Amino acid sequence: MSLINYIIRRILLMVVVLFGVSLLVFSIMMIIPPGQRVAIYVTQEKISPAQINAMIKKYGLDDPAPVQYVRWLKQIFSGNFGYSITASAPVIKGFITYFPVTLELVLYATPLIILVGIWLGTLGAVHKDKPVDHATRVFAIIGYSLPTFWLGLILLMVFYGYLGIFPPGYLSNKGKNILFSPAFKRYTYILTVDAVLNWRWNIFWDALYHLVLPTVNLILLNSALILRLMRSSMLEALGQDYIRTALAKGADKRTIHNIHARRNALIPVITISGVLFAGLLGGMVITETIFARDGIGLWMARAALQMDVPAIMFNVLFLGTVFVVFNLIVDVVYAYIDPRIRLV
Amino acid sequence: MQKLIEARDVYTNFFTFEGVVKALNGVSIIVNQGETYGLVGESGCGKSVTVRSIMRIVQSPGRIVGGKILLFLSREDKGQGIDILKRSEAYMESIRGNDISMIFQEASTSLNPVLSIGYQVAESFLLHRLDEMLKETIDTLKAEIESGKLFITGWWKKFQGLLFKAELKGLERYTDMVAGIDRRLYELEDSTDKISIDERNHLNRKRDRLKKTVFVVQCVRHLPFIKHYGKKLHKTIRIHVIDLLKELGVPNPQNVPDMYPHELSGGMQQRIVIAIALACHPKLLIADEPTSNLDVTIQAQIIDLIKNLKSTSIASVLFITHDLGLVAEMCDRVTVMYAGDACETAAVKDLFKEPLHPYTKGLLRSVPKLKAQKELESIPGTVPNLIHPPSGCRFHPRCPHAKDICSEDKPPLTEHSEGHFIACYLYT
Amino acid sequence: MNETVVNEREEKEKIAVHPRLQEFLFSTRRFLKNPLTIIGLVIIILFALIAVFAPLIAPPHGSDPYRIPHTGWKMTPSPPSDIHPLGTLEQQYDIFYGVVWGTRLAFRIGVTVVFANLLIGIILGALAGYYGGIADEIIMRITDMFYAIPFLVAAMALVVAIGRGLKAVIIVLIILGWPTYTRVIRGEILVLREKDYILAARAGGASSLRIIFKHILPNSIYSVLIIASMNIGTVVLTAAALSFLGLGSETGYADWGQMVAMSRNWIVGPADNRLAFWYVVIIPGFVIAMFVLGWNLLGDAARDVFDPKMRRR
Repeated sequence: MSLINYIIRRILLMVVVLFGVSLLVFSIMMIIPPGQRVAIYVTQEKISPAQINAMIKKYGLDDPAPVQYVRWLKQIFSGNFGYSITASAPVIKGFITYFPVTLELVLYATPLIILVGIWLGTLGAVHKDKPVDHATRVFAIIGYSLPTFWLGLILLMVFYGYLGIFPPGYLSNKGKNILFSPAFKRYTYILTVDAVLNWRWNIFWDALYHLVLPTVNLILLNSALILRLMRSSMLEALGQDYIRTALAKGADKRTIHNIHARRNALIPVITISGVLFAGLLGGMVITETIFARDGIGLWMARAALQMDVPAIMFNVLFLGTVFVVFNLIVDVVYAYIDPRIRLV
Repeated sequence: MQKLIEARDVYTNFFTFEGVVKALNGVSIIVNQGETYGLVGESGCGKSVTVRSIMRIVQSPGRIVGGKILLFLSREDKGQGIDILKRSEAYMESIRGNDISMIFQEASTSLNPVLSIGYQVAESFLLHRLDEMLKETIDTLKAEIESGKLFITGWWKKFQGLLFKAELKGLERYTDMVAGIDRRLYELEDSTDKISIDERNHLNRKRDRLKKTVFVVQCVRHLPFIKHYGKKLHKTIRIHVIDLLKELGVPNPQNVPDMYPHELSGGMQQRIVIAIALACHPKLLIADEPTSNLDVTIQAQIIDLIKNLKSTSIASVLFITHDLGLVAEMCDRVTVMYAGDACETAAVKDLFKEPLHPYTKGLLRSVPKLKAQKELESIPGTVPNLIHPPSGCRFHPRCPHAKDICSEDKPPLTEHSEGHFIACYLYT
Repeated sequence: MNETVVNEREEKEKIAVHPRLQEFLFSTRRFLKNPLTIIGLVIIILFALIAVFAPLIAPPHGSDPYRIPHTGWKMTPSPPSDIHPLGTLEQQYDIFYGVVWGTRLAFRIGVTVVFANLLIGIILGALAGYYGGIADEIIMRITDMFYAIPFLVAAMALVVAIGRGLKAVIIVLIILGWPTYTRVIRGEILVLREKDYILAARAGGASSLRIIFKHILPNSIYSVLIIASMNIGTVVLTAAALSFLGLGSETGYADWGQMVAMSRNWIVGPADNRLAFWYVVIIPGFVIAMFVLGWNLLGDAARDVFDPKMRRR
């Protein structure tokens, strides 16, 4: 019962934070001169300077900030985010095309990042000061020192350039022909899922083949943080009194590590996973840019280069919202794992 | 009297960053079948380290570096005992919580905050009484199938029963193999030639490996979907847990298993810790200052509980405390420890009537008495640093009767009168 | 091991050294015992030397020393030779020159940003932590807002809003970076504020400012400085990422991220030698990695040693 109360409380708090996010995005937007901001209200491709001036007047883009803010919120809630030059389509439509690609990568990479980080971190703590521990430490330090963009390039250079495997992009040309043929029905727009639903295994393998390098890139860079934290919190948990109780009970090492220590050690890891997720979203921009995957990240990078203000603002708002919702989920998982938190 | 466990000249060191802490300096104690044995001394004198050495749960950076810990269990020949320091970790795991168990001074930190009370108590059953639990579950399933009317759940129950039977069979096979290894190990116990030492090491390793296999098999029970077949087993164990809690006077035993440690009061937490320790009816219960952080009334309750249990279900109690009053009230025999040395061992009456060791005398003089009018005395000086402990008798710098020899050699533990042992040159 | 602690304390009292200095010396000794620390220290010192002596190592040609000289317009990069010790990028930009002056730029970006962050963070954190109340509420809600948007994404948007370029990148990193320090400082102060010696100072009539600067900051500054040292690496990394995305300095600037961006077209060589342009891809990124690694090693070791909670493990 108390868990449900807790969730309701967190959702109310989330609304407040989302308000803050919208405020921040709006403030960033207000730095941009009105002439460029007008694009949010434009829905066609070509537009003349005179029209722009007229639109500034019409939409009151030189009104006082609070007035504009309220108006902007109204726009957002009516689902009008303007026209994106980079997507050559209204922002919402662009989002629907690009988002599944990103989602697919996230869906494959996140569980692997978590598993690798937790597993290696536990390994390091259990074999403290042994070669395994040093190896995981080196892995971690390399992980959070390497620039995302550089590692991606090296992976491409070695695997795609030299070995000729794992090409960039999201599908081979042959696959794309099938993909855009009318016979291929797109249910979810997530490629691997759609391929299975269409019973096209060659497309499935093709898509998976293109997913390998970006996923590896994200794992190498993002599991390092989890690893380090998992190691230190596991060490801390192993030094607690309740471990002694478990020992005295006759529990074997594995039971102690897997049941008694790990659950406790996961608590701090969960609390920082919000930070980690932010890193993942940032890494996504760069990873998609390097591996030429047409997702939100690449869209955002292109939009930033072409001053595509509507697309940028929408993406910041969207990623901010995702991040806030993610933090809510983290809090709930946290409350589930640590029963003490629910009382607070 | 029948010996239960004997620690002979145990040395335990802690290899810390600051240096080697020589926490135990050849401690010897003998706990007999059926007695309550006290271990007293000021904090930091090595009482806790002694009992942890006995259970072999000295945590890193600590290590037992010398001595013997002999266990006299009825399972095997009681004559010479088994030196558990030579045995594998898997063997120790089968002893801990089963034949010897332990309760701790701080109940609130001794319980795992993120696991339910039910699970923490049930784990003792899962670890040591799995065969009985499986048998019971199979029986209840059988009974349910025979009396059952539902067709579909009947199949499910039969399937569960089959799996449990398979598990039980595997477990019995494992138990047989382990028993075989243990028998052979016992035969090799005292032989010192190279071949038998090699065989011993080999067998110990084999026992560890066997345990690992069992663990892998048991992992199956945690897989998604498959894990649902174990629910019946959990129900059986839950009944036992509730019975146990009832026995220990935990109010509301039906609901407590679903609670978490932070939802219980300190006294209740200590009862849970005791429940965990008593689940498998151990032959020896080690109580490491079980009442030191509790309110006075709850202290009395817990002490009464342990006393009751002593008379009903446990064979012996090894009681650690710094409270001499408790020792006088509870124990049959007692050892006084100082800075990692066992100074004096005697029956409680003898010790209080006729303390021999200078430290014991000082200790007794520093306890407030109801009738005495004079001021309390304290022992001059402070507890030594155990990284650089005093040579010889560790008490000599503070001893009013110190002789030259005291700083040179460690005094041996000798029998002064019957059952009264003492390590001091004043009496040799 | 209660007795060891007691004895240690006794020993400390015997030696007539200020306890804080004693602690510092002890920590420093441990700090320098760790081989990883030494590696980190060597890396950073090396980079610092390169940055300081950049005009001697790679004499500048034009008016702006951060502009990499390029000899010709040939698109294909040239391999390492006598004239170009590390080869060239496309359009014959000299990699060696770029690396050397890029070091100087990295220090400039890292130190400027972190110093500004520290300044803002300490002032706001001290205000929030010491005075509490409304000031605390407002400042902390603002930091919450900053935390609610992924860092790199927010940075991209802000750079676009301000207008692309290296200056914009630095300003953005300053704007977005301070909340971390504010939070840490505030947390430390909240703990310290209730400590007895602060209460004593307040009872003795010391002014708020005096208490903050004389008693509170010296005690809370350690952890912040450790975070700051680790953040220099992160800041440089983020700046490089922004440059890589084309939001930072323009083509031909001695900026590591920019140089990596220029290598993107050359990850695959001609058919006969697929790795022909390895130097273009490897070198600039490797330099960034080493720079960040150095700071991370230092910060990591410093945290292990100076943080009393992590110590003696």
